[in-house]
Amino acid sequence: MTTAPSAPSASFLDPAALMSIRNLELRARSVVEGFWHGLHRSPYHGFSVEFTEYRPYTPGDDPRYLDWKLVGRTDRYYIKKFEDETNLRCHLLVDASKSMTFGSRTYTKLDYARTFAATLGYFLAQQGDATGLLTFDERVREYLPARHRPGHLRHLMLALEKPAAGTTTDLAAPLRRIAELTQKRGLIVLLSDLLAPIETLEAPLAMLTASRHEVVVFQVLDPAELNFDFTTASRFLDLETGRDLFLEPSIARTDYQRRLGEHLTAVRSICQRLGIAHVQLDTAQPLELALFDFLKVRASRGKIIRRKAAA
Amino acid sequence: MNLLAPLFALGALAIAGPIIFHLIRRTTREQTPFSTLMFLQPSPPRITKRSRLDNLWLLLLRCLVLGLLALAFARPFLPRATPAPPPGSGQRTVLLLDTSASMRREKLFDEARARVEKRLRAAQPGDEIAILTFDRQTRTVLGFEEWRKLPGDQRLPTVLQRIAALQPGWAATHLDAALLQAVETLDQGSATQPGRREIIVFSDSQDGARLNGLQGFQWPRGLAVTLDPVVAKKQQNASLQWISEGEDNGKPGEETSLRLRVNNAPESKREQYPLRWNQGTSAPLEAYVPAGQGRIVRAPTRPAEATALLISGDDTEFDNQLFLLPPQAAQLPLLFVGADADQDPKGSLYYLRRAFPKTARQNVEITAHRTEESIPAFRLQQAQLLILGDTVADAPLASARQFARDGKIVIAPLTSATSTSVARLLELPSLPITEAVPKDYALLAQIDFQHPFFAAFADPRFSDFSKIHWWKHRRVEVSGLAGAQVVARFDSGDPALVQVPLGKGSVVILASSWRPVDSQLALSSKFVPLLHSLLEQSSNLPAQKAQYFIGEEVPLPGGPQPLTIRKPDGTEVRAPAGSKFAGTDLPGIYAITPGIQRFVVNLAPDESRLTALTPERLTSLGVPLRTGHETPAELLRREGQAQATEIESQQKLWRWLIVAALGLLLLETLFAGKLSRTSGSSTVAPT
Repeated sequence: MTTAPSAPSASFLDPAALMSIRNLELRARSVVEGFWHGLHRSPYHGFSVEFTEYRPYTPGDDPRYLDWKLVGRTDRYYIKKFEDETNLRCHLLVDASKSMTFGSRTYTKLDYARTFAATLGYFLAQQGDATGLLTFDERVREYLPARHRPGHLRHLMLALEKPAAGTTTDLAAPLRRIAELTQKRGLIVLLSDLLAPIETLEAPLAMLTASRHEVVVFQVLDPAELNFDFTTASRFLDLETGRDLFLEPSIARTDYQRRLGEHLTAVRSICQRLGIAHVQLDTAQPLELALFDFLKVRASRGKIIRRKAAA
Repeated sequence: MNLLAPLFALGALAIAGPIIFHLIRRTTREQTPFSTLMFLQPSPPRITKRSRLDNLWLLLLRCLVLGLLALAFARPFLPRATPAPPPGSGQRTVLLLDTSASMRREKLFDEARARVEKRLRAAQPGDEIAILTFDRQTRTVLGFEEWRKLPGDQRLPTVLQRIAALQPGWAATHLDAALLQAVETLDQGSATQPGRREIIVFSDSQDGARLNGLQGFQWPRGLAVTLDPVVAKKQQNASLQWISEGEDNGKPGEETSLRLRVNNAPESKREQYPLRWNQGTSAPLEAYVPAGQGRIVRAPTRPAEATALLISGDDTEFDNQLFLLPPQAAQLPLLFVGADADQDPKGSLYYLRRAFPKTARQNVEITAHRTEESIPAFRLQQAQLLILGDTVADAPLASARQFARDGKIVIAPLTSATSTSVARLLELPSLPITEAVPKDYALLAQIDFQHPFFAAFADPRFSDFSKIHWWKHRRVEVSGLAGAQVVARFDSGDPALVQVPLGKGSVVILASSWRPVDSQLALSSKFVPLLHSLLEQSSNLPAQKAQYFIGEEVPLPGGPQPLTIRKPDGTEVRAPAGSKFAGTDLPGIYAITPGIQRFVVNLAPDESRLTALTPERLTSLGVPLRTGHETPAELLRREGQAQATEIESQQKLWRWLIVAALGLLLLETLFAGKLSRTSGSSTVAPT
């Protein structure tokens, strides 16, 4: 969806410097600084000021929503819909598997993802939105239902700070669980590296969209993963499976980049097919940019739906 | 540089450890964690020359540390020039070489001889060596005196030449006598030689070796006995032993079956051995003897010409033959000079004939000389005892006198007071004899049981002569007889039996006779034993044994002319009559000529006990046994070792080596630490 991360400008915080702040909440606050309340739209329609669309009346619709003026003018029955500006219910899904603990810099992908999740949580709480959390590896580790109440944010931060214990990434179980837990439609933000066989990714994501949630995927990747810029030959140890492989990086690099590219393209195409917003995050990229990306996705969301409806 | 404990230097092999570890590490030195290997294909490693070089220094250090440690544990020292041993302080050694029959087995003797030779060649110039062989006897092959006299370069060839001529005999092993002889040899002139003294026994050290003589022997100090046993590969042995039947009084001509003991060695696996005669075709007798035991069996019936019994089925051959002869009756002619009729129960001869029945062991033939002529010389020569009758003419009396002078006994019973035969026999002008008149009867009293005539009755069970009543007896005036010894007296105090020496022999005067008219002697149980003891005394025949063992002396029968003894191998040895024959060095049957006497010489039964002699038996007898033979070269090495230990403890080079190893270890630690730091920082890929 998004283009390659742009070079971080001087006004943004350097992620390395940010990560050196121990307290997650402080970290989040320092990122959210400068963003304000009421920036997003609600996925719920209702009586509101902002008109969204006309729809032909079908029997069974509530006759209250009929545009009686239009009936009087044209003798046609149309339902007039308005956007509901209610509070957002957002679930943050954070992948805490072993592969996320990789980091070629002073911090890992998981650190980055946690900070981003905290930032979003803080940001949404500032707006008065209900925020829930689910961390997972091969199974669900932590779950906090979406709420907006004093102290909830603190719980959320604490849950995020728990260390990663699992090994592999299994998207299916956590996503099925979140689909079960969240009856009301809402926003689901998935923070993961999605470094799993492509065939295991599609079904769980499709299940989320099928339950009519709005889904945003942030694919967190390390620059070393993207570029594979190792220099010395060594045994490469798979963090999840424990398997090791002796490699000469200069030889393996081309092949690696080709296959990674294929994987990323596949992920993107799945997301596009399912109407999921996909953002690829480079851990070297400042978090503010990621937040911008999020807001941009949110802002364009209505248009997406309309485009899809028009299509 | 020498090493005190060279085996520890093997620890240097541990250097292989670091080399192997370095080889392993070279391939897996760095490990890079990565999120996933999904997109990676294995690619072969490229080993750069630089990484090898890096490790080589570390490897060198580690190997050096291990090498130094190994060297330190091996206790190195710098040898010092040692002063040569002073001359004359050499060892005095007696080499005892076993030549007994058991050494005939396999090639034991050759092996023992080779060992003696080896020992001789290993001798130091200062050493003195004597060589003795032993079996039943101990013989000196070369004494210390001769060794000293021989020039240094002549000793070995001389000794070797003498040893080469040695062969094992058939005799038993008298190890005790040999050891004592060896000690004696060592002691000779030992005052001037304070050096070490040793006896080395080259033997098969069999259990049957005699050791009794060592009991209570006080072994001198500073002497060691070393056993250098030669061991036979085959230990299975069965042997035969003839249980001599000395007391068997079977009828003459009746073949008694011989009793044998079959011994089986404890090592034997077989339990059944066939016995058969060396002649004839009779079926062999199967003797069943469990291992380690002995059984008595009756020999199978002997074919006419057979002289030896053979046992077969065991591994050792030398003791498988047992020579046997049927008991031979000794021919003992007896002369009676007098007119008595053979069938006259009132006379003396009648009872004499019945006193000497024929037995398997002896054949006493009584010849009566009734004429007034002198007794033929050949008769006189063969006769073993002469008994005078009532009235004897002068010519036979002269013969009887000669007979007594030649060393035999003449019995002269006094049948009447008027008899002058005794006086004429003793060539006395007169011998006063009067008729004694006992009341009822006389009894024998004051019998000298110490005298050979009555020695057989010395036991209180047989010493009762009171049952013999003497109706009549004569009183002899003993004072007139020179050297007369009264052996028994009547209860009246009159002499009853008087022995008068005459020439080499003697005349025995019985103051009565065994005729029924004179006494009850002929009817008593004492008559036959008394006559036999008189015959034994007179004939002075050596008691022939059924068998002799190798090396035993055989008494030869007396006689005027020298004898010839034919040995089993056909050689003939001449020996004076009446002497003892000591040349029984071969098992088999020996024949003595003139005459038909034969005797059997067998192997000593103990020689067949081949089980190895345990050193404990010797040590329990006080033998200062040294376990494990130490050649002079070994001795020298042991001494060198002691010296090396001393030098090493003075130099203590190992301390410096340990310090050096510790220093190197420190260096290695620093170096390795630095290396791991640099390599650790290089693991993180630059961004």
